[in-house]
Amino acid sequence: MLRMDMNDQAAIQAVLAGDKEAYAALVVRHSARLFRVAFRITGNEADAEDVVQEALLRGYRKLESFESRSDFGTWIYRIAVRCALDRIGGSKVDESTRIAETTNGEEDKVQIADQAAGPERLLLSGEIGAMQEIAMHALSATERTAFVLRHLEDRTTEEIAAVMGIPPNTAKQSVFRAVQKLRRRLATLKVKT
Amino acid sequence: MTHLSEEELIAHAYGEGEMAAVKRHLEGCAACSHTYTAIESDLAEMKFAEPPGRGAGYGEKVWASLSGSLPAYESAKWKWLRGGRWRSLSYAAACALLLACTFAGGRLWERKQAQSRAKISSQKNPQQVAHVPQPGRVVVVVLSDHLDRSERLLVELKHADAESIEMASPLRAEARSMLAANRICRQNARQQDDPRLATALDRLDHLLEELANQPGGLNVATLARLQNEANADGLLFEVRVLRSRLPNQQAASAGHTKGGTT
Repeated sequence: MLRMDMNDQAAIQAVLAGDKEAYAALVVRHSARLFRVAFRITGNEADAEDVVQEALLRGYRKLESFESRSDFGTWIYRIAVRCALDRIGGSKVDESTRIAETTNGEEDKVQIADQAAGPERLLLSGEIGAMQEIAMHALSATERTAFVLRHLEDRTTEEIAAVMGIPPNTAKQSVFRAVQKLRRRLATLKVKT
Repeated sequence: MTHLSEEELIAHAYGEGEMAAVKRHLEGCAACSHTYTAIESDLAEMKFAEPPGRGAGYGEKVWASLSGSLPAYESAKWKWLRGGRWRSLSYAAACALLLACTFAGGRLWERKQAQSRAKISSQKNPQQVAHVPQPGRVVVVVLSDHLDRSERLLVELKHADAESIEMASPLRAEARSMLAANRICRQNARQQDDPRLATALDRLDHLLEELANQPGGLNVATLARLQNEANADGLLFEVRVLRSRLPNQQAASAGHTKGGTT
């Protein structure tokens, strides 16, 4: 039987004392939030669920190094973001949808290998949101993660830097480059429509 | 007029950077204001699909898939006991190392102390100790020890008689072994300008040479002659007087015993 009445600190102490079941309280409390950020970064449910499990597993294994004065939610969130970052960085070449970025302004548009999901068809069917999702995939893993944290998770530059383990200036530059690229692609779509 | 960069405008749109300064600039710059409006509009259009909802039982589902692969942490007590064996071995090794270092350090310290005692002793009372530098080693001769040996030899010489000529043999060996030390002490006494000691050691040197190098060995006649020629009784008295003159005889002897020769 799961014990949900324990707060995070009590659950961590119980786990470290040998009560494995106490970790259930932490898993149940934080899974949904981790799934949301993982989905936003990876862009699909299966990867996001894998990221949640991997993050919670890593968190369990590293629980001894967790400092009790910190917030477990923030700590496990950071682990999840890094797991998601690893996943999109490592699995990018295996995506069925291959996207190339050109430097020519005239040719500056999203190129989609999957003919069934071409930009014209997407635009014609009014699936702007889907097009944006595809444009997101053109970003590098760091840019995409930094943008998600800034634009969707509403994190400050310092928080993004801390979560991703990068210098604040790099985080700021990553957000800037991501917005710049997405705006260019949006501009292309606007012209075509 | 310097316009704001796209980066500054994007940061401003996200509520970062120098908000007041950028705002003031935008109020007075139509070009930047136009660009900023476009950025705001684009950012507002960047709406992505919300993550699919997870049911109320999602956490339980995650836990169900995770729990099987999580090993339980050992309680602090068991962990300590398990780690205790290695910890004990580590402590034992550390103690052994410490003991070995202490022992080696003690030996080194003792040797240095003995050397420094010998040096101080020679500086305080140059008559007592004589150093003879030789390649590779240092010989330290303590005068008090030499006078002791001389006294014993003179006593044995005095009591050697015709009936116990066999006793003369050890005298010869002892005299040979004392010759070098006697010369060192005599040389030292001359350097220290101690004529009484130098004279006594001269006489002793002559007697030791006779005893050590007598052609044909020692016999009753030779012993009697040497006793008379060297005035062994007088020399014995002189040696005893010189010996009593030396201060801290015991301490010097002790120091010599420990580190006199290296």
